[in-house]
Amino acid sequence: MDALPIFLFVLASGGLAVGMLFVGWLLGPKRTSAVKEMPYESGMDPIHDARRRFDIGFYLVAIAFLVFDVELLFLYPWAVASGGTGEEVAGVDAAVQANLVSSRELVFAGIAVFFLLLVLGLVYDWRKGVFRWR
Amino acid sequence: MDSTTSFLVALVKIAVLVGFLMTAAAYLVLLERWIAAWVQDRKGPNRVGLPLTGLRLFGLGQPLADGLKFVFKEEFVPKHVDWWLYTLAPVVLLGAALAAFAVIPFGDALPELGITAVDSVDSYLQLIVAPQVDVGMLYVFALSSMAVYGVILGGWSSNNKYGYLGALRSSAQMIAYELPLGLGILGVVLMTGSLQIDEIVAHQATTGYWNVFAQPLAFVVFVVAAFAEAARLPFDLPECEQELIGGYHTEYSGMRLILFLIGEFMHMITASVLITLLFLGGWHFWGLTSGPVENWFDAIVRIVILLGKSFAVVVFFMLVRWSWPRFRFDQLMSLAWKVMLPLGMVNLAVVAVLREPMFANYLGGGSMFVFMLINVAVAAVAWIVTALLQPLAADNRPRRAENLA
Repeated sequence: MDALPIFLFVLASGGLAVGMLFVGWLLGPKRTSAVKEMPYESGMDPIHDARRRFDIGFYLVAIAFLVFDVELLFLYPWAVASGGTGEEVAGVDAAVQANLVSSRELVFAGIAVFFLLLVLGLVYDWRKGVFRWR
Repeated sequence: MDSTTSFLVALVKIAVLVGFLMTAAAYLVLLERWIAAWVQDRKGPNRVGLPLTGLRLFGLGQPLADGLKFVFKEEFVPKHVDWWLYTLAPVVLLGAALAAFAVIPFGDALPELGITAVDSVDSYLQLIVAPQVDVGMLYVFALSSMAVYGVILGGWSSNNKYGYLGALRSSAQMIAYELPLGLGILGVVLMTGSLQIDEIVAHQATTGYWNVFAQPLAFVVFVVAAFAEAARLPFDLPECEQELIGGYHTEYSGMRLILFLIGEFMHMITASVLITLLFLGGWHFWGLTSGPVENWFDAIVRIVILLGKSFAVVVFFMLVRWSWPRFRFDQLMSLAWKVMLPLGMVNLAVVAVLREPMFANYLGGGSMFVFMLINVAVAAVAWIVTALLQPLAADNRPRRAENLA
């Protein structure tokens, strides 16, 4: 695995974006006026700063996302280790052969308990009304 | 084998891919306008052709004219914004959208060229910028999360109420639909046992069962989540013109705006290519792609198949855009948390049980055909149950009694 092309690609795409901005800045006109500088609010004069308190619902969604996303990320290594065609001995099967874990069934039972916790979390949030948007 | 060659090979691949993507994006925008015109029974952009000759060429010059126009527009930054974040936001969005293509294959491999680079397997040049990256899918996933930063930064730094609301809505939508997206991918990963996209495609090619047949439920969950992640209609709440003007890019103009728009369009292209690779068999087609790549014909057929499938998905995206009305925000959230997340979990549980040898042995020895039948049945049952429960029909508007309580 060689990660160099990825860094090159990130640099290239970021550089392309910055380059496009620079060309636009170079070639475009530069005129301004007091009205042009105002925030656009459909012709109304803006009353106060836009950065104010927002609905608590967004915060709840963010917390719920964090919980579920982290739990999902824990499932990825398991999926990689226990998935596959079974033609070559790898992942969980290799671990069983090397006596790192007693049996494949034990791994499955473990992940089943973990998954059950995920489901319970979803049910709990649902019952608590986290997903009810008002 | 030496690192200079592989460095040069990577550079050439990046240049070709970025050039191809930018051109494709420009002309797909034209295609989208044509399709919009066709759906609405009017003539689309059909006038701009070659300048000074009077040739119209069905409007094929339109993207170039649009690009020129954007270049000569003013780079205007209002006084009330945070300059650094305001400039950073579109760069992050477009950069993340483009960089996701680093691990996405555009075909299988090229026939032997005589270039021996570090990244090539058996001296066959892989049609992927960063081959052999064993966390490929996670990388794409991470970069699609980066897009949320672009949106949030843009909305926050604009210091505009429409932009602020749009950014909040957009981030809530994107993070909510990231979970079904991840669950859909998990089912596919469990089939292959690898996060490498080319291996996922190779697995579908060897068995001949595309994941769309093997796991229809995961396909539906993934496609819906991909629509929401790309903020396409019916999920375009972040920038619904009637309510929020332009959402998080209300205060943007000129080149910064076009960076946002290209970035969003890139998300749609990424989503289409990913749907093709993960679920529609990638470069595989029965009868056309048997055996390894041996000559140029094999290589080009695979590229054409992959691009053709992706193109079909893009057209599907565009037709959906002009066919469905927009969701309400509470419906959007209900769909993510109450429909797509449970459905994704059901799919994952079913696939996990069916792939486990101790259960699979009771079910036809784990043959792909039985696997497919069970999954189709599960998808059908899930569809009927969802239709009966009508999770989006609930009226979530605030009640007077609740407000008083």
